[in-house]
Parts: sequence; C-alpha cells; structure tokens
Amino acid sequence: MRKLLLITLLFAVPASAQLPGLRRREPQPPVPVVSTIDALRADFAAQSGGATVYFAPGRAQLTQQARTILSAQAMWLRQHPEVAVRIEGRGDPTDTRDHALALGAERAAGARDYLLLLAVPAAQVSAMTWGKERPGPPGATTIIQELSGPPLIPAAR
Amino acid sequence: MKVIGVGLIAALLGATASPAAAAAQAGTPSASVIALPPMTTPDSGTKGNESLAIAWQATQLIDADLRQTAELMPLTPNRKDYYSSPEVTAPTFSKWRDRGAKALITGFVQQRSDGRLTVGCYVYDVDKGRELGRTGFVAVPSDLRRAAHKCSGLAYKAITGSPGMFDTRISYVAETGPADARVKRVAVMDSDGFNHSYVTPGDTTVLTPRLSPRGARLAYVSFQGGVPQVRVVDLDSNQQRPLVPGNGMTFAPRYSPDGSQIVFSMMLGANSDIYVVGANGGMPRRLTTAPGIDTDPSFSPDGRKIVFESDRAGSQQLYVMNADGSDERRISFTTSAYSSPEWSPDGNLIAFTWRFGDTRRIAIINPDGTGEKVVTSGPADEAPSWAASSRELVFQRTEANGRPAIYRVSLDGSAPRRMTIPQDGSDPNWSGAMD
Repeated sequence: MRKLLLITLLFAVPASAQLPGLRRREPQPPVPVVSTIDALRADFAAQSGGATVYFAPGRAQLTQQARTILSAQAMWLRQHPEVAVRIEGRGDPTDTRDHALALGAERAAGARDYLLLLAVPAAQVSAMTWGKERPGPPGATTIIQELSGPPLIPAAR
Repeated sequence: MKVIGVGLIAALLGATASPAAAAAQAGTPSASVIALPPMTTPDSGTKGNESLAIAWQATQLIDADLRQTAELMPLTPNRKDYYSSPEVTAPTFSKWRDRGAKALITGFVQQRSDGRLTVGCYVYDVDKGRELGRTGFVAVPSDLRRAAHKCSGLAYKAITGSPGMFDTRISYVAETGPADARVKRVAVMDSDGFNHSYVTPGDTTVLTPRLSPRGARLAYVSFQGGVPQVRVVDLDSNQQRPLVPGNGMTFAPRYSPDGSQIVFSMMLGANSDIYVVGANGGMPRRLTTAPGIDTDPSFSPDGRKIVFESDRAGSQQLYVMNADGSDERRISFTTSAYSSPEWSPDGNLIAFTWRFGDTRRIAIINPDGTGEKVVTSGPADEAPSWAASSRELVFQRTEANGRPAIYRVSLDGSAPRRMTIPQDGSDPNWSGAMD
C-alpha cells in the first residue's frame, strides 16, 4: 500500500485595495475562476505526470518515481510563477495520530525541499501536514478532482 | 472485647455470607459488594422531606458512580434500609454481611440556613465493623453531584487503595460529517458524561485535547494557523493562546503532573523533537536531538522521567529519559510498533498503542520494559489515557463502520465498555481528580 502526498494549487492573490462604504459600487461580474483553477490543476497534473507523489508505508524518503514527478512539477512551476502551491503531507490512516501528523510533515518538507533544490522560488511553495485527517481516496493515482484544498479565491490576473 | 465479638459473628455468618457473595460476584470476578442504604438527614418537617429527596438523589449518584467501576458493585439502594440520622455513624453490620457486602457507605444531607448543603459520608468495613474513612462538604446545591462523586471516591480509595476517578473530567474530539470533511470540536465532560460542553466551535480541525492535572485548563492542537499548533485554553474563562509564539508546527502536548509545564513536539524541517515549556509561557527547552520523529511525550507522576515514542531506530519504539533530556533508554524491542505512550498516575505502568501491520491495540508495559501485555483486541484501538485510579483506561476505538468511539477498559480483564457521548469521538484524555 502506498501513501499519498498531495500538492494543491491555489492562486497567490494580490490584495485589492478597496475603501469600503464610500461609494456604492456596481456588483462586479462573476469571474470564471473555478474553471481557470481547474484548468491549471489539470494542466499541472498532465504536464507533471500527477499532482500526487507516493511514499513507501511509514517512510518519508522520496522514491525515484516521486523525484521524476517533482522534477516535472518544478519545471511547470518555474513556467507559472504566478501560481503558488501548497503541499499537503499525509500519513497512514492506520498510524497513530501524532506520528501520522509528523510523518506527513516530514514528507511535505521533503517534497518542498526537492522543489526548492530545482530552483522553484521558496515563496511559491508552502508545506503543511494533515496527518491522518482528510485521507485521500485509497489506491487513487489521480486525485486532482478530489482535492480538498482551501476555498478557491477569485484571481485578479 | 467488641472486636472479638464482631469477629465471632462474622465467623458464624461466614457460611451464609459466602453464597450471596459468590452470586453477586458472578458477573465481575473481582468486584467487591458495597452496601449503599439511602442517605439520611437530620432535618425535620417539610425541610426534612426536601432534604430526604436530595439525599436520595445523592445516593443514586453514588450508586451510578460505583456501578461504572470494575472493582465495586453496589447493592441497589432500598428505602427499607433507611437509617435515621444518628445511625449513620453507628450502623448495624450483620444484615449487610448476610448480603455479602464487604463495605458499607452511609451519609446524610443537611440544608443550611444560607441555602447551601452539608453533605457527609462514612465508609465502613462490614467484616471488621469499623470505620474506614469519612468526608464532608459544604456545597451549593448544584454541586451535589461533585459531593456525591467525592463520597464515591472515598469508598473506592478505602477498598481498592487507589484514588477514585469519579470527580474527574474527560476531554475528547467530537466528530461529525463525512470522512473527507470531518468537523472536529474539542469537547469536555465530567467522567460520568454530565456537564458536556464544547470548547472549540468546529470551524477548524482540532486534535488531541489534553487536560491539566486538575482539569481546569486544556492544551490541544489546532489547524487554525494553517499548520498544526498547540493552543492552551482556560476552561473557566475560555481564554486561549498559542503555547509558543511563531509559525512552527507544534503538537502532542501533555501537562507535567504538577501542571506547571507542558511537554510537546516541535517540527523543524523534517525533524520532530521533544521540547518542554512553562504552562504559562516562556522559552521552550529542547530535550531530544535524534533525527527522525520523536513525539507523544508523557511525564512520570513524580515529574522526573518522560516516556516518548521515536522512530529513530526505523520503527516506532518507546524510550524513557530524564526530565532534562539526559539518559535516554529504549524500553521496547520487538518488531511491533509502539506509540502514544502515557505514564500511569501511580507510576507503575505505561499504556501505549501496540501496532502490527494495520492492527492497533491498547497495551501496557512496565517502565523498565518488562511485563508487556495487550489489554484490548482491536483491530483499530489507539490513544489510551489513564484514569486517576491507574486501574482503568479510556481509549479510541474505530468501529467496523469506520467511525471512532470512546471506550473505557479496566485492567482486570473485563470487556471494554463504550461511553455514551453525543457524536463520534476520538483522542480521549482523562484528567486527575479535581479539587
């Protein structure tokens, strides 16, 4: 059984300066953000060979396969400097709570370090762990549609 | 003279007493039968009737307390056995011997002119006909439950020698919703299930609540800041703060036995080490330096040692070190994984999660690494936490439907019992006795 580690895409959003309450504004037309992000995610996964890298049970060492995927992801990220990614580390659901949490963090840190080694700017990649919270679908190889990332934020591009 | 007389009566009644005792003990091999006649009152008239009603309530609370235990089995309180007020300190013993009782609890409730209650209780050895202990409180009526818990604790301690766990709190994570979007809230309740309340609102994932020894404060892990971080909350004022400042990942908190310190794990890069910090803040002090994941630290009750788990040797194993981080020693040496240890309040045992493949069970081990023993059958049991008595554990069992529930199990070999809580529950933690 292989364990997963997800990479979630989200936009880095420049905060738009607004002075609230001074003037009534026309409601802004809805931005088709979701499809944009979905498209970006799909492209990211397609170009990289997957948005998920897998680890051996109980281990945090990057496999050769994981390195291959991360290398392709790094290339994609360098071509898309406007996109920030969050690496969500996960542990084994049959592990105990705290060890799973730490193992997920270890895996996420390893993946992030590898991306930085391949010249992805540090500001573009954050890492966190879910431990055994929010488990990914078992046995899934492509889980780009299943991402339980943060709420999608309208992008001002 | 008196003692000899009592002894003679006991000898004469021995033959009749033993079948009753055997019958009462059939279900629970080691349970001691306790006589629990209705508590009485010195009050008279209308006030006396009110006081009697309160006393009956207290009696039933004690009955429910003792029934929760594996060690004590109360005889169902019967109004026919009512003692008058003076008799609570001079009870008759022969009829209780006839019913196989080892001990007798008597007591009274008196209404004071200031609206508060005086609650007194007495525990007797029925065989020897002598008092084992007494306790008394002046309490507001809403604290009647706690006063009854203290009486139960007096009886438990007199008979088992261990502190009672009736006036204690249990914290846990209440869970609702689907597996990929669980809503988790820290919840706290009295160990009998009363006074259930939520500490966090459920807008952010929370883990591993750990009560301070007297149950007044609580440390837990929150995802509020994006990464898991330990927060500390005062349960009376509900004021919260992060345990340590900054953006680092901190987790697995546990209070020291005197409540003055919190030991926890901090993740730096890909390395998790154990730190200790004052419960009110201060500079964290690093205790372990090995590469790998060191986590789930737990103090010994004298505060001098810490048990923790580490995967530095490849798989998760248990280690014991001095509280200053010196003299680390590995105590577990099999191919199973050993994790989430907690030192018992009496210092004699360490409970942990035993894991082999995908099977998780609750187990105990002596602090020197001998005497390992599995106490639950799994297949998905984890996160043991000791009762103040050191004779019982609360733990998380993921049931066949995939949903976690809170169970308690006694070390006497009886089957684990599911606790009644409003929702699913995980990460239970049992406090020491409250003041």
